[in-house]
Amino acid sequence: METLALQHYLAVGAILFGIGLIGFMCRRNLIVMFLCTELMFQGVAINLVAFGHFWGNFSGQAFTIFVLVIAAAEASLALGLVVLLFRQKNTLDADAWRELKG
Amino acid sequence: MSDLFAFQHAWLIPLLPLLGALLAGFLGARFLKRQSHWPIWLGVGASAVLSFSLLFGMLALWTKGRESSVREPAGKWTVEQANLERAAARDRGESKSVPLARSIKWFDWILAGGSDASHKSYPDNDIRSADGTVNPLRPFHVEAGAWIDPLTAVMLCVVCGIGFFITVFAAGYMKGESGYFRFFAYLGLFLFSMTILVMGNNFVMLYLGWEGVGLCSYLLIGYYYEKPAAREAAKKAFLVNRIGDFGFGLGIMLCFLAFGTVSYYGNGPHTGSGVLDMAMAAQLPGGQITPFQQTALKWIPFLLMIGAFGKSAQFPLYVWLPDAMEGPTPVSALIHAATMVTAGVYMIARCSTLFVQNEAALITIAFVGAFTALFAGSIALRQFDLKKVFAYSTVSQLGFMFVAVGVLAPVAGVFHLITHAFFKALLFLSCGVIMHAMSGELDMRKFSGLKRVLPKTHVLMLIGCLALAGIFPFSGFFSKDEIVGAAFHHNTLLGLVLLFTAFLTAYYTFRLYFRVFQGPEILPEAPAHASHGHGGDEHGSHNHEPWSMMLPLFVLAIGAILAGALNWPERERSLGTFLYESPSFQNGAVIADIAFTRLGGKPVDLSAFGRREADEAAMGHEPPFTPIMGISLIVALCGVWLAYRNHLKDRAAAERLARKLGGLTTLLEGKYWIDEIYENAIVEPLKKLGRAFFIIDQMVVDGVVWMISFIPQATGFALKLTTQRGYLQGYAASMLFGVLVILLLIFW
Amino acid sequence: MPTTLFIPAAANAILNPLVVMVLCGFAGIATAMMLPGRREASWARVGGVVALAVGLIFSALLIRYTATVSPEGMGIYFWVFSAIAIISAVRVVTHPRPVYAALYFVLTVLASAGLFVLLWADFMAAALVIIYAGAILVTYVFVIMLASQAAPDAATIAGQADYDDVSRDPLVAAAIGFALMGMLLFVIFDKAEGVNRPVKPLNHKVYVQDGSDHPPLAPYDGTTQQLGQYLFNDQTINLELASLILTVSMVGAIVITRRRIVSTDFGDEFVETPEPETLHGPATPVNDNPHSIPVYGTQNPRAKAYPER
Repeated sequence: METLALQHYLAVGAILFGIGLIGFMCRRNLIVMFLCTELMFQGVAINLVAFGHFWGNFSGQAFTIFVLVIAAAEASLALGLVVLLFRQKNTLDADAWRELKG
Repeated sequence: MSDLFAFQHAWLIPLLPLLGALLAGFLGARFLKRQSHWPIWLGVGASAVLSFSLLFGMLALWTKGRESSVREPAGKWTVEQANLERAAARDRGESKSVPLARSIKWFDWILAGGSDASHKSYPDNDIRSADGTVNPLRPFHVEAGAWIDPLTAVMLCVVCGIGFFITVFAAGYMKGESGYFRFFAYLGLFLFSMTILVMGNNFVMLYLGWEGVGLCSYLLIGYYYEKPAAREAAKKAFLVNRIGDFGFGLGIMLCFLAFGTVSYYGNGPHTGSGVLDMAMAAQLPGGQITPFQQTALKWIPFLLMIGAFGKSAQFPLYVWLPDAMEGPTPVSALIHAATMVTAGVYMIARCSTLFVQNEAALITIAFVGAFTALFAGSIALRQFDLKKVFAYSTVSQLGFMFVAVGVLAPVAGVFHLITHAFFKALLFLSCGVIMHAMSGELDMRKFSGLKRVLPKTHVLMLIGCLALAGIFPFSGFFSKDEIVGAAFHHNTLLGLVLLFTAFLTAYYTFRLYFRVFQGPEILPEAPAHASHGHGGDEHGSHNHEPWSMMLPLFVLAIGAILAGALNWPERERSLGTFLYESPSFQNGAVIADIAFTRLGGKPVDLSAFGRREADEAAMGHEPPFTPIMGISLIVALCGVWLAYRNHLKDRAAAERLARKLGGLTTLLEGKYWIDEIYENAIVEPLKKLGRAFFIIDQMVVDGVVWMISFIPQATGFALKLTTQRGYLQGYAASMLFGVLVILLLIFW
Repeated sequence: MPTTLFIPAAANAILNPLVVMVLCGFAGIATAMMLPGRREASWARVGGVVALAVGLIFSALLIRYTATVSPEGMGIYFWVFSAIAIISAVRVVTHPRPVYAALYFVLTVLASAGLFVLLWADFMAAALVIIYAGAILVTYVFVIMLASQAAPDAATIAGQADYDDVSRDPLVAAAIGFALMGMLLFVIFDKAEGVNRPVKPLNHKVYVQDGSDHPPLAPYDGTTQQLGQYLFNDQTINLELASLILTVSMVGAIVITRRRIVSTDFGDEFVETPEPETLHGPATPVNDNPHSIPVYGTQNPRAKAYPER
C-alpha cells in the first residue's frame, strides 16, 4: 500500500467519473440518472481525498465533506422533483419531458 | 447710462410669468383650484410694472439725453459723417446722444463647436478673421440675454400690459370652466414665451419665443379639446405655422452660416459683431463683405418673411387664424389679435437692416400685406359669427402693418400694432361679454338691439368699432392714416388698395355694430347652454357685465381712444422719435437711404423711421394733417353710412344687395374657397403620397425586413428539428463533447 | 510520509497514451454492449468479458509499473477495493433494474470508503458509509419503489419499464464517455507533472491539544481530531453555510413534494376536482385567473396527502 502513487487513486476516480458520465448520458430513468451523478461525485471525492493525503493537508477532506453536503442536498431536492415529475406524467422517462417549456 | 433698476432686473420680466405658470400648472389641480389665476395675475402684473418702469426710465434718460446733447446738423446725414462723428465722440469719451440700447447677458446658453482657442478668445471679435471672412473655427455661441431698446420696451409694455388686463378679464370669463388652472398655466407660459420673443438679443432667443408662443397658441386653441372643431383648429394652426417656422428656421441658419453669429448686435451696435451690424456693411461704402454674404443677404429676408407670414397670418398662410377663434375669447384677444400675431411685424421691424436693403423682399411684403388686407377685409363682409368677423379683421389689419414695414415706414407699423392691440383686444373681450350673456351664441343674425341688455358693453364696443373703422380722434385713425400715407408716398396702387380696405373695414365694423347693438331687441330664443363650456347657472337674469370683466375693458377702451396721441404728428417727442433711438430703426434708416438713393429711386421719407430733422417742422415740409387723412376719414365715414343704410335703417337692403351681387356673395360666403383649395390641392395629394409611401413601406421595406427575419427563423426551425429536440441527455452529450474537444486542444 | 512514493518522471513511458486510448476504446465498446437494450443477452455477456479483460490488462500494466518502482509492496487492498468499486460502478450503469443499480451503488460507496481508509481518511470513510449508503441511498430506494409500484401500466417485460430496458444512444454515450475518460487518464499519467512536486509544509494550522496558538504545530497524521480542529478553526463559516444549505434543501424538498390543493371556492368548502391530473396541478398558475393560483393548503379536508391508487 505504501508503494502506491497518487496517480493510482486519480485513475480510479477518473474511471468512476467516466462510468457515471456514460450512465447519465444513456440511461433514461430519471432516478438512475441521478444515481449516476452520485457515481460521478464518488469519483471526485476519491480524487479530493487522494490529493489531500498526498499533499499532506486537510483541504481535500474538508472539500469532500462539502461535496457530501451538496450531494445530500441535491439528492433530496432532485428526488423531490422526480416525484413531482412522476406525478405529472406517471412515468420516469426523461424523454417524456422534452417540450422545452413550462 | 446709469443702471436702471428695470435694466438690472429685466430678467424678471419673462421669469415671473413662467413662475406663475409653473405654480398654476403644478399646484393648480390639487391646491389652487378656483384660485389658479392668482399666480398669473401676480406674475404678469409684476412683469407689467417692470415693463412700464423700464419704459419710463428709458423715457427719462432719453429726455435728459436730448436736452444735453448737441443738435445734429441739418442736411443729409451720411454714413461716413455718422461714423466720423461716432468715432470722434468715442475719442472724447462721450457719446453724442445717450444710447438707449444695450445688451444684457444673462448666461451662455449654447457654446458648441469651434476650436478650443476660439472658445477661449470668445467674445472677442474673432468671428471675422483679418480679411473679413467668417472665421471657420468660430463656435456656435448663443447667449441667453436681453436686447433692451425702445422697441423692446414698447413691445414689452404692450405684451405685459394688455396681457395683464386680459388675464384679469379671463378670471371672470373662465369662471367655472373645467381645467381652469390649465388655462392660466398656458396663459403664463404664453406670456413667458412672448416676452422672450421680444426681449431676446439674438435670433435663437427669438426663435425660442416664436416656437413657444406657437405651442401655447396650439394648446389654448385646443383648450376645449372635447370639441372636435377646437382640436382640428389647434392642429391646423400648428401645422400651418410649421410651414412658416420652417422658413424662419432656415433663415436663422443662413444667418449663422453667413455671419457666424446669431446675435442681433453682438457686443453692441456699431461694433460689427452682430448679424444686423454686419449686414449693414453690405451697403456702407468700404464695408467688408464676402460674395457669399451678399448672396445670403438676398435670401435671408425672404426666409424670415415666410416665418412672419405664418405667424402673422398673411395671405397664403392666413387660414389658421379664423379657425383659431375656437379657443376661449380671452385667448383670441390676447394671442390671436393683440400680441402673438404681431410677432411678424416686430421681427421685420427689428431686422429692418436686413429687409430695407432688399427691394424685392420689401415689395413682396408690401403687396402681400395689401392683398391680405383687401382679401380678408372682403371676407369679413359676409361673416355672421362675431369672432370670425374680428378674426378676418385682424388678418386685414395685420396686412396693413405689413404694408407699413414694406413701404419703409416701420414706425407706422409698430404704431398701428400698438393701437390695434388696444382696440382689437377691446373688441374681442366685448365679444366675450356678449358671448357670456348670450350663452355662447355668436351668430349676429340670432340677436339684435343689445344696447339695452348690455349698456356698458355697448359703449365699449362702439369705441372699439370707431377706432377700428378709423374715425377721427380715435387711435386707429392716426395709425392707419400713417400707413396709408406712407403707402401713397411709395406706390399709388398700394395706397388705393389700402383706402378701399379702410372703407371695407368701416363698413363691416359698423355692420356688426348696427346689427348687434342697434335695432329691435331680439335675443336668442333658446340659449344653447351646452354649446359652450360655460356652466349654465350663471347666465340667469343676473348681471351680465360683472366688474371683474368690465374693468379691464374700460382700461383698454381708454387706450383705444388715446393711443393715437402716442404718435401725434408734429410732436417733438413722439413714439417715432423714441423708436428711432433703437439701432434697428436707426440703421434701417441709414441703409434705406443709401440703398434707395443709389438705385435712383424716390428719396426715402426718413421720418417714417422716426428720424426727425431738427428744423424740418420749422421749414413746414410736413403739415400736421395731410389731405390723405381727410380722404381717409371721408372714406371711413362713407363705410359707416353705408352700414347704417343697409343694416340699421333697412335691414332687408343688405340682403337685396347681396342677392343682386349673387356671384360675389357666394364667393365671399365661401371665403374664396381657400380652405377647399388647400384641401384639394395640398392636403389630398399629400395624403395620397403618404398612402403610396405606406404601401411601398409595406411591400418593400417590410418585405426586406421579413426576408432578413426569415433567415434566423428558418435556421431556428432547422435546429429545432435536428439538435434542439429537448432530450436532456442529448444536451449533456453535446456539452461533454465540447469539454472533450477543449481538453484535447489544451493537452494534446 | 509518502514523499518517496511519487512516480519518477521516467515512469511516463510505461503507460503509453496510445495503449490507454486503445484500452478505453475497447472498454467503451464493451460498455455499449452491456448497456440495457433490446438485443441478445449474450451480447451483454460478451461485453462483460471484454470489459473485464480490459480492466485486467489495465491493472496488469499498472501493477507492472508499480513493481518497477518499488518491488516489495503491491498494496493489495487498493487493487481489491478499486476492482470492487469499478465493477460495481459498471453494474450500476448497466443494470436494467433501478433497485439493483442502487444496490450496486451501495457497493461502490463501500469500496470507495475502503479506499478512503487507505488514504488515512477514516472519518471520511465513516461519513461516506453513513451518509451515502445509510441515508441517501435509502431515499433513492424509497423513491424507486414508490415509482415502480405506481407505474404498472408502463411495464412491458417482467415488470420492467421500457425506459429502463432500452438505453438512449449507447454507442454515442460510450464513445464520448470513454473518450473523456481516456483523456483524463492520459492527462493523469502523461501530463500531470505538477502533482509530482514534493510535499509542502502544512499550509494550515493544526493546533496542539492544549489550545495554545503558538507553533510548533502537530504534524499531519490524518486523525479525526486534527480534521475536526481544522474544520472548526479554519472552515467555520463554510461549515455553517453547509448546515444552512442542508436546512434549505430540506425545506425545499418538503415544499416541492407537497400536494397542492386547488381552491375553487371562497368558503370553507374545498371543491375536489374530479381528475387527479388537475388536482396535481403544475407548479405555476393554471391560467391568469387569480383565483386559480394553487393554494398550499394546510386545511386539506382529505387527510391523506398521497391517495392510494
